[in-house]
Amino acid sequence: MMLARVADSLYWIGRYVERAEHMCRLADVLLNATLDRTESSGQVARMVISAVTDGEPEGELTPWDAALAMTMDSEDGDSVTAALARARENARQVRDQLTTETWERLNLIYLRVTGPSAGREFSDAPSQFLHDIIADLHLFKGAADATMSHGEGWGFLQLGVFIERAQLTGRLLQAGFGRSLGRPVTEHAAMTALLRMSCALEPYLRKHTADIQPRLIRQFLMFDEDFPRSLRFATARIEEHLSGVGRNVDLGGAAGPERLAGRLKARLLYAEAETLTAEDSDLLVATVLEECALLHAGIYDTFVAYSLEMRLPA
Amino acid sequence: MRYALAETTRSPGAAATAATPYDEMVDPSGDVRPHYAALARRVASLSDEDLAERQRLLERFFLLQGITFTVYGAESSTERIIPTDLLPRIIPAAEWATIEAGLVQRLRALNMFLADIYSDQKILMDGVVPRELVLGAPSYRREMQNLYVPHQAYANVCGSDLIRKPDGGFAVLEDNLRVPSGVSYMLANREAAKRTFPGSFRMAGVRRIEQYPDLLLSTLKSMAADWRPNPQVVVLTPGVYNSAYFEHAYLARLMGVPLVEGRDLVTHDNMVYMRTTTGLRRVDVIYRRVDDDFIDPLTFRRDSSLGVAGLFNAYRGGNVVICNAPGTGVADDKAVYAYVPEIISYYLGEDAILPNIETYLCREPSQLSHVLANLDKLVVKAVGASGGYGMLVGPHASRAERESFAVALRANPDNYIAQPTIQLSTAPCLIDGAIDPRHVDLRPFILSGDKIRVTPGALTRVALRKGSLVVNSSQGGGSKDTWVLGEPETGEAAP
Repeated sequence: MMLARVADSLYWIGRYVERAEHMCRLADVLLNATLDRTESSGQVARMVISAVTDGEPEGELTPWDAALAMTMDSEDGDSVTAALARARENARQVRDQLTTETWERLNLIYLRVTGPSAGREFSDAPSQFLHDIIADLHLFKGAADATMSHGEGWGFLQLGVFIERAQLTGRLLQAGFGRSLGRPVTEHAAMTALLRMSCALEPYLRKHTADIQPRLIRQFLMFDEDFPRSLRFATARIEEHLSGVGRNVDLGGAAGPERLAGRLKARLLYAEAETLTAEDSDLLVATVLEECALLHAGIYDTFVAYSLEMRLPA
Repeated sequence: MRYALAETTRSPGAAATAATPYDEMVDPSGDVRPHYAALARRVASLSDEDLAERQRLLERFFLLQGITFTVYGAESSTERIIPTDLLPRIIPAAEWATIEAGLVQRLRALNMFLADIYSDQKILMDGVVPRELVLGAPSYRREMQNLYVPHQAYANVCGSDLIRKPDGGFAVLEDNLRVPSGVSYMLANREAAKRTFPGSFRMAGVRRIEQYPDLLLSTLKSMAADWRPNPQVVVLTPGVYNSAYFEHAYLARLMGVPLVEGRDLVTHDNMVYMRTTTGLRRVDVIYRRVDDDFIDPLTFRRDSSLGVAGLFNAYRGGNVVICNAPGTGVADDKAVYAYVPEIISYYLGEDAILPNIETYLCREPSQLSHVLANLDKLVVKAVGASGGYGMLVGPHASRAERESFAVALRANPDNYIAQPTIQLSTAPCLIDGAIDPRHVDLRPFILSGDKIRVTPGALTRVALRKGSLVVNSSQGGGSKDTWVLGEPETGEAAP
C-alpha cells in the first residue's frame, strides 16, 4: 500500500533519471564524433538530433551548441539539467519514501549540475563533466537498489526506468535505421557511435566480435536477452514490475495495463529475430513505442488517477 | 582561553548587573562554568583551520540532507541551508530537571484550560481570565465547543520558547500550541554534532533525544479511538513549498507513516481516507502541519486548497483525530499568556515553576499609558502575529519608528502587549572563524496524549547578528545543538 501520488512521483523519478543518463551519453558521443573530420561525424550529428527532437532539426546548430543545449538547457524539459531538477523535485515530494542514501546521491548530482560552476566545468572538460554525471547516476541507482525495500515503491521506480529506457532505445533505433527519418547510418564510425549511445558497444563486441553490421546491431538492441538496454530486456522488466505492483489492485474484472505489458513482452520474446526484415523491424519498433505510450497512460489511470466511484470501501 | 579574549566588552571582574546578559559558558568572574569546561578545552586545542573545517563538515551535512529553505529571486531560486552553529549549548542536569517539571506543569494546565473553555468555561465564570479576552480572540474556535477530545489532550505537541534571564533563571517567553516547528532541527543538529564533536559528545554524557519520533508516534496513536487497535497515522503537510516541508518529511520518515497532502485525502460518510495505489484506505490520526484556517474549506477558510473538505465533520463524528486539536491557539495567544500563572494555580493549585515575563496588556488603559511612556525600554508585540513580525524592540528602534508604532498602539490597543526588553543569555558561537557570544533562546518540545512526554533536548535558536535579540529564522536567526547532560553517576544508566 502506498499513496497514489507517491507512486506517481517515484515513477517519474525513474523516468527522469533514465532520461538524464541517456542524454549525457548522447551529448558525449556527439562531442566525440566531431573530433573526426569525416563523413561519419555528419551522420552521428544527424542521428543524435533526430533522436532528441521530434521534427526536423531547426536551424544550423553546431554540434557543440547542440551538446550544450542537451546538457544545460533549463527550458528544454529533456536536457540533462532539467531532467535532474525534475527528478530531484519529485524526490523532494516523496522524501519520506526514499532512503537517506538514495536521496543524498540524487541531491548531490542535482547540486553539482545546477551549481554556479557547472557551466564552466562543462566548457572546460565536457566529456569529464558528462562522465561524472553518468557515474553519479549509477551510484544513485546502486544506492536505491542496495538500500530501498524492493516492494511497491521500488516497482514504480523501476517501471519508470524501463518504460523510459524502452522508448529511448526505440527512438535511437528509429534515428539510426528508420526509413522515415532520412538515410540510415552506414559508416562504421557512425554505427559504433550508435552502440555507444546505448552503452552497448562492449557487450555487442563480446557477443558478435568486431563484426559491425546494421542487421546485427538492430538485432542486438531489439532482441538480446541479457543486454539491459535491449527492447526485449526492458519490456520483460516492465511486465515483471507491473505484475508486481498490480497484484493488489482490484479492477473489478476490467483489464489492467498488465495485459498490454504481457503482450508487448511476448512481441519481443517470440519475434523471429534472425529473419526479420528491416521494414518489419521498423514496424515493430513503432509498435513498441506506441504501446509504451499506452502503458504510460494505463499506469496513471490504474494506480494514480482512478475514479473514486470504482474504489469506494465496501 | 580564546573565548574569554573575544569577550573584551566586559570590564574584568565586574559583577553582573541587571543589564548584563547571562553568559552560558563563562561566569561573571571570567571562569568557564564546570559543565562547559571539557568542551572549552577541546575547542581551545583546535586551530582556526580545524574549526573552519568542522563548520564546513556541518554545513555540508545539512546541504546533502536537503535541510534547506528556498530563496526565491527574480530569475531563479536558490537553496540555502538554515545557518547552523558548530558549538553546542550545554544545559546541566539540575537545570534541566527544573525546566522539565515546569514544562509538564504548564502544558497540563494549558490543556485543562482548553478543555474548560471549550466546555463549561468555569475559569471565565470565576473571572480569573477576562471572558472577552478568550472568546474574542481570533484563535478561539466556536466549532470546538463541547467536542470530545481524548485525554483532554488538545495540544499534543507544544514547543515553548524559554529564555534565560540575566539572573540565570529560565522564564517562558511564549507558548506554541498550534503547529510548532523546529524539532527536525533539534534532531538534525544532534546528528551533525555527533560527527563534528564525537569525542566531546561521548565524554559529556549527553542525554538521548533520538527517541523523539517514537514518542511522537506513541502520543499520536494514544489519541485514536480504542476500537481502532492498529490506527493509521499520517502527517499532513501543506506541500513541498512550505518552509517547514523538510521537517514534515523527516518526521513522517522517522515515524514510518505516510506524508500526505490535502489532495491525497478524501472524506466519505464522515470517514477520512487516503488515496493509495490499491484504492482508498482509512485514516485514524492526522498529525497536521497545516494551520486551523486551512484544514477544512467547508468549516474554516473557504479559499483553502490545502485542506480536506469534510475533515472537521469527520473529526466531530469521532472518526478521525486531528492533532493538535483546532482552536488550541487561544491558549498561546499573547494576551492570554499574561494569565498563565493564574491558569496554573486555578487548575493545579500550584505556583508556576517557570515564571512568565512581566507583561503589560495595552487593553488596560493604565498599562497602556505606562507602555507609551516607556516605549524606548519595552518590546511591544502584536497579539496575533508571530515569527518576529509586527513587533517593536524599543531600545533598538529609531525615534521615528517608535512614534509611528505609538500611533498604531493608540489606535488599536487591544492588539498589543508589551514586555521589558530582556537581555537573552549568550552562548559562544563560531562567527566568521572567531568565537564570539550571541544571544540564544531555548525551544524544548513537549508531547501530550495519554500522558505527557518530554524529550531531554531542545532547539537552541541563535540571533546571529551581533547584539540582536531576535532569534527567528525568518529574521536572520540560526540554531545550534543543545546538550542536556545526564545526572553524573546516577541518572539513567545505560542498560
